[in-house]
Amino acid sequence: MKSWTELANSSFFDANARERALGLVDKDTFTEFLSPIDRYCSPHLPVLGAAVEFDDGTVTGVGLIGKHPVFVVSMEGKFIGGAIGEVNGGKMVATIRLALKAAAAIKEQHPDDYAARRPLVAISFETGGVRLHEANAGLLAHAEVMDAFQDCRGIVPIVSVVGSKVGCFGGMGFVAAATDVIVMNEEGRIGLTGPEVIEQEMGKDEFDASNKALVYRTTGAKHKYIIQDCNYLVEDKIGDFHNVLAEVADIPMDEIEKMRRIGSLKLVQEQQGLVKLVGDMQPKDSMDLWKHFGNENPAELPELSTAEFLKVVKRRERA
Amino acid sequence: MALQVLEFEFKSEATQTIAKEWSHLGVTGSGDLEVLFEKKDLGGNVKAKVVTPVKGFDAVWEKMIEKFVNDTGVGNISIEINDDNATPIVVYMRLRQALAEATAKEAE
Repeated sequence: MKSWTELANSSFFDANARERALGLVDKDTFTEFLSPIDRYCSPHLPVLGAAVEFDDGTVTGVGLIGKHPVFVVSMEGKFIGGAIGEVNGGKMVATIRLALKAAAAIKEQHPDDYAARRPLVAISFETGGVRLHEANAGLLAHAEVMDAFQDCRGIVPIVSVVGSKVGCFGGMGFVAAATDVIVMNEEGRIGLTGPEVIEQEMGKDEFDASNKALVYRTTGAKHKYIIQDCNYLVEDKIGDFHNVLAEVADIPMDEIEKMRRIGSLKLVQEQQGLVKLVGDMQPKDSMDLWKHFGNENPAELPELSTAEFLKVVKRRERA
Repeated sequence: MALQVLEFEFKSEATQTIAKEWSHLGVTGSGDLEVLFEKKDLGGNVKAKVVTPVKGFDAVWEKMIEKFVNDTGVGNISIEINDDNATPIVVYMRLRQALAEATAKEAE
């Protein structure tokens, strides 16, 4: 395993779930919940003759950023595409609920210093959604995660961290959208139905999944950043993600609330406005929208480095 | 259909074990595996448990792990492997990596 300093300068995209979990919090502060030695494997996979993993494909734990306890959930895309089943789903839910408990305990023990110690939940998504081998349990986990988000609303910020190979798709695309803050690198992708599935169901004319440029223009971080589905776009370094988490940990909850995409009548109306815009415009490509939001040369945006992109990009105005 | 569970025990003259109580490496990805080493007093021996979806390669597993034990002279550990169709050379490489990780001094 790389040292924390090496991890901070390493690619987030190339890192495995445990490296991401360690690197997202301060040096040497990470404690893992149900680590490989606890051997909490899926009880369903062996029955179906499918390989298991000691952490069931998700690393959970807690670390610190400054004085903020940061509860981390980090998914491993190489294990069954990061899909969510009973055990890893349960780990995810329990970790979020623990953050809420920690918030209550800290408020009681450190009433004067609460703002500097307020917990945060960081979820590093790398998943296609429900694990089909144990789909009922997986779906239930999705629902319980959503419930846990609601319980945390206004108390503990939930931050999505997306920038791994598999992206964040299926039911977990909904889950990421329901979080308070979304941080991505350029390689990050969020969506519901994955590109291959759209092509399979609707044909190549509808969506050509082999056209990577098209895939990234539609589901990738630059597009998400322009339409305000993504709050922070960072360079592909674990340390850069860590720095954004440190920034978010200090933002007051009423400001965090403004970064959300769903969860109030006003926000639903804002989303409906976007749907109406797309209906009226009938864009042929994401670039039509980019142009609509003020980018004169949309075709040049995918070619720019993250730093250059951030300098010139025009984003949709939040309502 | 169900997963195969293979268990082996190897005699080892060596008593060189790992530094940490336990150590873990790898991901059960397609064509890959994860390895869990645990320090155990086995009178110098090495125990191995392999969980794999592949049938009919028991002898290959035994040979590969035996080679690892003989080449490295490791003893007094239990090895647990979750495999997903890794080839023998990948198995050997991951075992060597896992041992390097388990015996490494804490970085920094």
